[in-house]
Amino acid sequence: MREVELVVIGGGPAGLAAAVKAYELGIRDILIIERDIELGGILQQCIHDGFGLHRFGKQLSGSAYAQKFIDKVEEYNIPVYCNTMVLEITKDKKVVAVSPKEGLVQIQAKAIVLAMGCRERTRSQVRILGTRPAGVMTAGAVQRYINVEGWKTGTRAVILGSGDIGLIMARRMTLEGISVEGVYEVMPNLGGLRRNKAQCLDDYNIPLHLATTVVSVHGKQRVEGVTVAKVGTDRLPIEGTERYIPCDLLVLSVGLIPENELSRNAGVELHPITKGPIVDTTMMSSVDGIFVAGNVGAVFDLVDYVSLTGEIAAQGVASYLAGKRIASDVKEVIAGENVSFVFPQNFYIKDNKEKATLYMRVRKTMQKVRVEVSCNGEVIATKKERFATPPEMISIDVPINKIMDGELKISVLE
Amino acid sequence: MDTESLQKSIMLLEEKFKPNNISFTLDNGLICFDGNMQTWQDMVDFCHAVAKLPEVKHVVSHIKTPESVYKENIDTTPYIAIGEVENVDVLIVGGGVIGCGAARELSKYELNILVVEKSSDISEGTTKCNNGMIHSGYDTKPNSLKAIYGVKGNAMYTQWAEELGFHFNRTGSFVCGFNQDDMDIIQGLYENGIKNKVPGIEVISGERAREIEPNINDGVIGALWTPSAGYVEPYEVTLALAENAIENGAKIWLNTEVFDVLQENGKVTGVVTNKGIIKAKVIINSAGLYADEIAKMINDEFYTIHPRRGTLGILDKENKGKLHTFVGKAPSKYTKGGGPQETPEGTLLIGPSAKEVADKEDLGVDRDDLDFILDKAMELTKNISPDTLITFFSGNRAATFEEDFIIEPSKKVKGFIHVAGIQSPGLASAPAISEAVMNLTLAELGDGVKEKATYNPKHTFNKAFRDCTNEEREKLIAQNPAYGKIVCRCETVTEAEIVNAINGIVPATTMDAVKRRTRAGMGRCQSGFCGSKVLDLLSKELNIPPTEVTLKGKNSEILTEPTRNFKRGEM
Repeated sequence: MREVELVVIGGGPAGLAAAVKAYELGIRDILIIERDIELGGILQQCIHDGFGLHRFGKQLSGSAYAQKFIDKVEEYNIPVYCNTMVLEITKDKKVVAVSPKEGLVQIQAKAIVLAMGCRERTRSQVRILGTRPAGVMTAGAVQRYINVEGWKTGTRAVILGSGDIGLIMARRMTLEGISVEGVYEVMPNLGGLRRNKAQCLDDYNIPLHLATTVVSVHGKQRVEGVTVAKVGTDRLPIEGTERYIPCDLLVLSVGLIPENELSRNAGVELHPITKGPIVDTTMMSSVDGIFVAGNVGAVFDLVDYVSLTGEIAAQGVASYLAGKRIASDVKEVIAGENVSFVFPQNFYIKDNKEKATLYMRVRKTMQKVRVEVSCNGEVIATKKERFATPPEMISIDVPINKIMDGELKISVLE
Repeated sequence: MDTESLQKSIMLLEEKFKPNNISFTLDNGLICFDGNMQTWQDMVDFCHAVAKLPEVKHVVSHIKTPESVYKENIDTTPYIAIGEVENVDVLIVGGGVIGCGAARELSKYELNILVVEKSSDISEGTTKCNNGMIHSGYDTKPNSLKAIYGVKGNAMYTQWAEELGFHFNRTGSFVCGFNQDDMDIIQGLYENGIKNKVPGIEVISGERAREIEPNINDGVIGALWTPSAGYVEPYEVTLALAENAIENGAKIWLNTEVFDVLQENGKVTGVVTNKGIIKAKVIINSAGLYADEIAKMINDEFYTIHPRRGTLGILDKENKGKLHTFVGKAPSKYTKGGGPQETPEGTLLIGPSAKEVADKEDLGVDRDDLDFILDKAMELTKNISPDTLITFFSGNRAATFEEDFIIEPSKKVKGFIHVAGIQSPGLASAPAISEAVMNLTLAELGDGVKEKATYNPKHTFNKAFRDCTNEEREKLIAQNPAYGKIVCRCETVTEAEIVNAINGIVPATTMDAVKRRTRAGMGRCQSGFCGSKVLDLLSKELNIPPTEVTLKGKNSEILTEPTRNFKRGEM
């Protein structure tokens, strides 16, 4: 069986960043496996701007952002298998993949970076009732049809979910002449970034209906309309508030789920809230030598973070391959007050870096908050934010030499 | 017959159900109602009650309720004007499991057989929304056709599966009891099952049940166990039957709807369809939900199909191995009660529910339907999360008020065979019903029908790529690189398999048809990722523009028009 030092599964922003960084850290025997016909992942259908503000200091389109990394991959001559699907990863890091060109590929990897990204939640997962006609699609699918394939999928749309993809697609469809009746959000607050609401809804007079959801779909062959209703604090529809809206397209932007079917089969332990692998601050999963990058670990709001986690994973891989890694030297990070989850879930305390980054989401919308990391009761890192909302991830750097015995906790205080 | 006592019984029922106005005719045990009632459910309950009266053999209802739906009358003149387009010995109306089963059994003989199906694919009606259970037969009324054909058909599945190459797991099934009341019902079912000659039937303790099926809920104190129950994928069975029938010379026309049945001198001569006139010596009415409407075309309407909607749910494959059998509950009035089960593909299936609906095409899911199937699945099992639900949908059972099968030649017109009211355990009964229909057809055709020397009962499906070993996969890709192209990542379906399905013996011409044959789009992302790729393949292979590709036939197109300034091929 062919042996490869590092196999990166997925050629989206996470996998690309991991591969490029790994090369720069001196790893030469790398293989990127990508299921699509080209590198870039979902960024290739994101033709809107807003990518890379943190990293490159300017707003790029998704494909332009991806291209920066693809150029590096080409410059470094990192081998890539496109149009290749990984079917199986084992605990001992054997990778089985297929492609029309390479046939059946079996590789023994020394280290693996999982970078499979995430998928969209579907209508059944949010329990939309009614019939099953044509014209119910996830926002990502509509985006692909419009931006990549060049097809419209309806004339009058209702969007459920105010996550970023839903907001972006409200604008995109409007620009393509599809009338967008409104965006509905089951939660009492916006699901995506505030800047996206301003640029994609407000600028086009598209109404946002909070605490309102799509209850059911009507139409036998093609969508003829949907019923929407206000929801209570239990997120269940309130009787008597139903409203019928004629439309021929229902676009769903109801959340993303990390794609971890390969991870699960490899015995990687998953976290019940993030739905991604449990990792430490070097991005190593519960299986030695299997690392995690980007949305496969936890769904991020910004691609910049996705690339960063890829680079952290590459550093982790480098020290793992150099034999400098002791799996047991980790400490759990506790999600404290107002924190719904923290990623990574564990802190690798023997890291030779100065600091490690923790990412977290808050439970509720808050103003003027202090993010606080404490160890054994002592505050070791802190950061102020003017706003904190559940959709927007907060990152904080923690100095590694300050980690001591006792409880390690991250909290957000008003 | 005692008409007076019947009048009295019906008056009593009328007092109970309070119809607005109602009239009926009575003819040799067939009672036919007209008039108006308050609700559809009242009408169904009323007709059910009438059907139970000892003097009544069959019930037809033309009773209108506010929920009633009305069909436009079709002017057949332009279709008759097309003239004769085909002339066959046997015309089968409806491409569900029964129609395709009958076609396959009849293809043993030197006969010209044609199946016409109004939808864009076979098994588009009741068949596709069936839960795939091959019932053991413990709960059907002794000596009913359901009991006789059910137990017989169940036993025949071993041979069918062997010959036809579809997946069949004889898993056994449980009916669980949580308390003594449930156990009393279970004891009754056991005795009923003994009468029906259900093999291996027994009442076992909760502990024993959990030994066989560890994830049965701890609250279960005892269960009825019938080891002969099993599971199939209903559309796979139907496809195997249809393909084997075609391999043996039968034909199937899709998108072909029967508008009228022609007869001369008390004998059928053919049908009028949207494709023109098809002449036939024998017509088999296996039109499922529409069987009563076809029967009406020869003025032999002696049953009414009232759709009983059932909702099913599918849970993610990550639950694979948590359940191996069917786990049901002591039953309610008109359904076996449903429950969770593992399909041959390893997904967990929950449901069905049972709800009377007025519209045969009403395939909606209401909140109470979904709550019912989820609650029941959770009540009966443990370690299974409702969050793993990936899809849910409804189908309609083709029920008669007598709640039994009708499998008999018309008493009014020669050459017409009714195969109606085929609901649960219709799938289990399918092999026995197909055989019976074959014999009835041969009797109608008279002497001189010869067996086909070249008949081959064997049918094989290509092994799914996901089920292949790595060595087999390597070989397949070497033969055809399209096997190396995974289109559906959730279910590991290759481009080659999708292309094969589109160009199959019964071609898959819609997204749903591709899904049923290959599982592309059936997984956890529900075609979010592969939809556009499958659409593209359909467009290419069928040589139609992408805007003409449909989800499930006419008027279900996926795409509307090209985007602005998009020049194809200049991407």
